[in-house]
Amino acid sequence: MAKQEKSRAKSSSPIVKFFLVLFMLAMAFFILGPLLWLAIHAFVTNWTYPNIYPDGWTWHWWTQVFADSALEHSIRNSLIISPIVVLLSMIICLPAAYAAGRMQYAGRKTFLIGMFAANSFPKIGLFASIATLYYALNLMGTIVGVIIIQLLGTIIYMTWIPAAAFASVPRNLEEAARDAGASKFRVFRTITLRLAMPGILVAIVMSFLASFDEAQGTYLVGAPSIYTMPTEMYALVENYPIQVAAVFSLLLALPSVLLIGLARKHIVGGQLAEGFQIK
Amino acid sequence: MTSTKSGVTVESLGAKKAPRLSIIGFFMALPPLLLVVFFVGLPVLIAFTFSLGFTTGPNRVLSIIGQEIHKKDHWWGTFAAYKDVYHDPRFAGDMRTTIAITVISTTLVLLMALGIGIYQRMIGGRLASVMTALTLVPLFVPVVIAAWAIHTFYAGDGFMRTFFSQFGINFPTITSTVSAIAIGTIWTSLPFAILMVTSGLQSIPDALIETAQDAGAGFFRIIRTVLIPLAITPIVIAGTFTGIGILGSFTIPLFLGPNQPTMLGVEISNFFGAYNRPQQSIVMAFIVFASASGIALIYIWANVRSAKQSGRI
Repeated sequence: MAKQEKSRAKSSSPIVKFFLVLFMLAMAFFILGPLLWLAIHAFVTNWTYPNIYPDGWTWHWWTQVFADSALEHSIRNSLIISPIVVLLSMIICLPAAYAAGRMQYAGRKTFLIGMFAANSFPKIGLFASIATLYYALNLMGTIVGVIIIQLLGTIIYMTWIPAAAFASVPRNLEEAARDAGASKFRVFRTITLRLAMPGILVAIVMSFLASFDEAQGTYLVGAPSIYTMPTEMYALVENYPIQVAAVFSLLLALPSVLLIGLARKHIVGGQLAEGFQIK
Repeated sequence: MTSTKSGVTVESLGAKKAPRLSIIGFFMALPPLLLVVFFVGLPVLIAFTFSLGFTTGPNRVLSIIGQEIHKKDHWWGTFAAYKDVYHDPRFAGDMRTTIAITVISTTLVLLMALGIGIYQRMIGGRLASVMTALTLVPLFVPVVIAAWAIHTFYAGDGFMRTFFSQFGINFPTITSTVSAIAIGTIWTSLPFAILMVTSGLQSIPDALIETAQDAGAGFFRIIRTVLIPLAITPIVIAGTFTGIGILGSFTIPLFLGPNQPTMLGVEISNFFGAYNRPQQSIVMAFIVFASASGIALIYIWANVRSAKQSGRI
């Protein structure tokens, strides 16, 4: 501890501190600048270059977005499809994650690496390749097709992160509970599941975001009959003024911002990082 | 770290149960595996045969619709589509751009992640926490929005030019240049790399750093001989995931890059859709995949290395 105090004292010389603050401001500018710039556009009538102030303020674009039925449809599609995708992903992947985290079976490592390999094939190439299969199965332009496409993007999160979470639950805790007379199911519910919960939560959040934000595959499979919010964004950017895209961006970012509050602690706490190391 | 702790108990308690569990475990692992095999493995395999000129069976529809389709002339197929791509003048530029962006962005992301991670580990404090929290913001911003936000920020009438014009400075338009792709890929890749690297650095015990300090090691010597070697696995994982992600990126170069040369992700989509040359498009996808596999090998090597080490400790 004393040593750490020393290193801290050394670093807080005014010059070092000045540069650190400068660096942080630069990072803040780099990361937040574009987002704020876009957000402001949702409330301006027009912005003539090179004026530092916009021409005027308005709510007009918000009413336009909510009045447009195509945009409304895409919002509804997104809000219906993403929860279904996450739920399916949990049903399909969580048992596998438990197995990969807790059991030794033939090909366990191959399984984890296979999931990874599937993830490293370029998405856009995969979507181009998948078209053949989709035509054969009549999945093109259907909601099932979109769900499957989005499901593929969640698998890596829903298997790897919970697998690491299950693996890190101490076995002796479970043994102790068993010795104390708890049933197998009760042990699983009250100990294993509860201790692995932060990891599962992170996986749910990441999967939801992966599904909610998926644009390329959804566009290829869903358009022109099914649009979600991100694929609608492609059309918006080309056909509408920037202000409408700005309003839509704010709406699209809303679920993500809400989820930050839910899982930020666990994501920063290393659940995500833990999940990406095969053990 | 936790695996070494629980590993002892697993071996002593689980040895008897292992054979029975293994069968259940295998079946529990099946559903996602089947999904991936059917919807990733199978299409990729079919696409591979298509790229080699197998135009019958499942590839029939595409080979009727598509233009400049090469049919196989040997029993194993043909490399004609690969030759097409190789001789296409656009491909050389795209490949160079893709590699340059991947290398530059990954390096910069890693350097930033290391800088912030080491700062948090060695100095800490509120400033460091605020900075880490700040760099996680892109994790929660959909790529489409990020790309569009960066597009407008650096555009001809964007903030940068507006701001600098107040002082009579003519700031360049970055949007629709290769630099904009680099900015976009760095922006979106930062959070994951920072999470991996900081968590790796945080798990290094204080005692090790203190011992090095007692032995008279300076700040940079500690970084070089203690921090980086001990956190090398998460650092490599961060680098490989970032690299693979950038290599296959599509939305960022689509919104931010120039029309030509662009990254292969965009070109795959162009060739498949706009140019209607699916065979060449799929060839490019395999070239990206081959490059990604090369990076993936580094990742697997890092994991094996870390598994060996934790076994030894």
